[in-house]
Amino acid sequence: MDVLDYDVLILGSGIAGLTAAIHAYRSSGGKVRIAIVSKLHAMRSHSVAAEGGVSGVLYPQLDKDSEELHAYDTVKGSDYLADQDAVDVLVKGAPKEIKFFDHIGVPWNRREQGRIMQRPFGGMTVPRTAFAADKTGFFMMRALYDEVLGCKDIDIFHEHFATSLILQKDGTSGFVAMDLANREIKAFRSKSTIIATGGASRVFGFTTNSYSNTGDGTAMAYRAGIPVKDMEFVQFHPTALVPSGILITEAARGEGGYLRNSDGRRFMEDYAKSKMELAPRDIVSRAIITEINNGKGLVDDESGMKYVYLDLRHLEPGKIDERLPMIKEMTIKMLNIDPSKEQIPIRPAAHFTMGGIHTDIHGRVMKSPTQPHDGLWAAGECACVSVHGANRLGSNSLSQCSVWGRMTGTAAAKKSMKLGHDRGRFTIEAEREAAALESLLDRKGDVNPYELKEEMHEVMDTHLYVYRNMKGMAYAREKLRSIYNRYGRVYVSDKGNTYNTNLRDVLELRNLIDLASIITECAIRRKESRGAHVVLEHPKRDDKRYLKHTIAQRSLRGMKVSYIPVKLGQFEPQERKY
Amino acid sequence: MRASRYEIFMYASIAAVPALIFLIFLSTYAGASAVASALSYLLIIAMAVFFVTGAKEVFVHARYQEGARPILQGERRVYPHMGRPIRGAEVVSLNVRRFNSETNKFDEASYKVNATKHTTVLGALLDIKSYSDNTLSVRCNCRMGICGSCGVVVNGKQKLACETNLLESSENGSVTVSPMLGHPMLKDLADNFDDFFKRHISVSPTLERKDVKEKYAAKQEYKMSKEDTDKFLPYSYCIMCGLCLDACPVVNSNPNFVGPQALSQAYRYHADKRDQGGKRRLFDADTADGAWGCEFAGACSSACPKGVDPAAAIQLLKSDIMKNMLEEE
Repeated sequence: MDVLDYDVLILGSGIAGLTAAIHAYRSSGGKVRIAIVSKLHAMRSHSVAAEGGVSGVLYPQLDKDSEELHAYDTVKGSDYLADQDAVDVLVKGAPKEIKFFDHIGVPWNRREQGRIMQRPFGGMTVPRTAFAADKTGFFMMRALYDEVLGCKDIDIFHEHFATSLILQKDGTSGFVAMDLANREIKAFRSKSTIIATGGASRVFGFTTNSYSNTGDGTAMAYRAGIPVKDMEFVQFHPTALVPSGILITEAARGEGGYLRNSDGRRFMEDYAKSKMELAPRDIVSRAIITEINNGKGLVDDESGMKYVYLDLRHLEPGKIDERLPMIKEMTIKMLNIDPSKEQIPIRPAAHFTMGGIHTDIHGRVMKSPTQPHDGLWAAGECACVSVHGANRLGSNSLSQCSVWGRMTGTAAAKKSMKLGHDRGRFTIEAEREAAALESLLDRKGDVNPYELKEEMHEVMDTHLYVYRNMKGMAYAREKLRSIYNRYGRVYVSDKGNTYNTNLRDVLELRNLIDLASIITECAIRRKESRGAHVVLEHPKRDDKRYLKHTIAQRSLRGMKVSYIPVKLGQFEPQERKY
Repeated sequence: MRASRYEIFMYASIAAVPALIFLIFLSTYAGASAVASALSYLLIIAMAVFFVTGAKEVFVHARYQEGARPILQGERRVYPHMGRPIRGAEVVSLNVRRFNSETNKFDEASYKVNATKHTTVLGALLDIKSYSDNTLSVRCNCRMGICGSCGVVVNGKQKLACETNLLESSENGSVTVSPMLGHPMLKDLADNFDDFFKRHISVSPTLERKDVKEKYAAKQEYKMSKEDTDKFLPYSYCIMCGLCLDACPVVNSNPNFVGPQALSQAYRYHADKRDQGGKRRLFDADTADGAWGCEFAGACSSACPKGVDPAAAIQLLKSDIMKNMLEEE
């Protein structure tokens, strides 16, 4: 059994993971040995699917913008659940990151005098979202990957699926991973580990996310006893293509697109008069579902899904080709619809997990609600630094990934690099994991993992969607318990050693079921409506009882839920109106 | 096919009809009317229950049993609150050339898939994986044509499985999918990309800057005009799916040729105003297995799903190499 020693270990290869790797390498002058471990080919992480752009105040004088205003928008968008010190870090760090991406090759759209162009986005008072057409995430990923290739000593482990996190008392941390190419088990050991495994929206069936977004890092951390925070807040993106769930970027509305119901009316004026289509995502998603519930939706013949229209027909010719080429390409390839001539059918789909591994403002993973774990960081969507609170504003996610990617990478490289000689626990752990995989393969089960996954999707899509109710969530909890029990009887048909995706899917399903249960449990306990979490029985925000973060931690008696206060600052909670 | 428990239920309840008629006959014409009518009521209820459970299982669930019935792609994606299920799907037989890593040979497998007008090749493959053959492996991630995972050959043409419509590619009701043969094979439809990534790395695809400190501290953006960006933008759409390399006839006969993907990326960085690699990039490409290896077959450009046109990039690279040579003389 291999135990591989590295100075810095990075699990996950999205924007956060690759940024961390680059800055760990550069800040140490190339002296530390770094490994990136990804369950995909490193350049194919879900970050490539980010479309709209990355937020940051680039030209305060020119645009009459300020970091304070960006912070205010973010905090108001979060329904005041964001930690305001963390938001400060985000808005101060973001402009630098946009320029850094310029320096490594992202083809930003430009305005006069070679400056970077910015577009309006939901919930932002002024246009401050820098973009490269509607493939921003893709260009950032390619630039980062190519930059990592330029750092000669970074080892990339493509297609290694991590199965368990190992945390030791002496500060050593690491994980066990399975090489998909030949099913070899490897243990990775380090003094500084960064988890950057991304979100978990695949617990839902109708989602904009890639197949890989199964929240592996979050679930592994939870199983290792690390607390997770605010998991009940799942963002539903208002405009996902019907019936596939493919993302239609918010930039489509930022560039002037309208939402229309079956009467052809721009219904957003009933819900957010001042912002219209550019209200924050939670508000737009609720508006769409309300319209559909009121019978103002349309029905897709084939899938039976109900939807409303996104209308881009009135945009001036050329704008779609220049600013939204991918939307055009996709609607034509997937639905045979030309957005300049026809309206696009859309409905809200699970998009982003605001919650995640509980970290402090420096991205350090916490081992208890208040105490940081030594030598362990988390960055990106899998981490919950609490900048997004109860609802994320569009384009803040890429800023978050790069700001905390840089911060955690630099901090991880700085930490002492000396490893002790005792590899004992890692060898044992790797052997245990290998044995567990063997027994999983040998098991004679009678449950098809894919059917079980679909059952979970059905439960989550029905009861933890945009509108939630207590009875439905209680039913979901029962159902998930039964799904969890039946997971023990799941069979793996593929017994092969080479590229066994069946085995990988079964392992991912374990993570998904764990996270679905956490989401449901936390959602049941928050008896208020805040941001993306709306309970019909409790339609009002309740700052007295629930202006606090939910912490879920694994204990001997199952899940333990506790609360920690929100860090307020200059912005006092007010009624949220747009 | 072995009859399932539920089918036995259903047929048993149908078979009980004569018994019921006999009982009703007894209750009306024979003496034991009270007992017989009570029995016949019980039998009617039992039959109804058996018939309903049996029929439901047979018609709703039986298709998930291996080989029992064709899979209804799409229908399973529909959840109760979203409305009614799909009707009127078309049956397509999907022939998959599966690479067997143990025998190093291809196994031909054929699956029946029910396709609607939105079914993609990837969607169909994943449905096969989910409900009729769990062992089928295909590499996929974003299912929206941007991650570059699912390059396969559909009916002899290089395609991304996720953006290829199944019905549109069906010829006489059948579609053939095989892995890219230009790459080393891994399993089923998945290729081994190690060699492909090495080719990419060989052209040093990193934006080179002399002001290293500013590059990472990032205080000021580099000024660029739209025209500056347009010079390299078409070549920066590469998603590294490997389809162009699979299509390239030169690589297939001369494996040392760097290949269209890597060379297009060399040109992408060369054409970027911000790059200060300068003449080194031209020098690197100026070899028989570099830019000059290209015979301008153009297969790469027609295979590219993102419209990158590597063939044009290589010709531009060649012309820049020539210009540079003339300048030096």
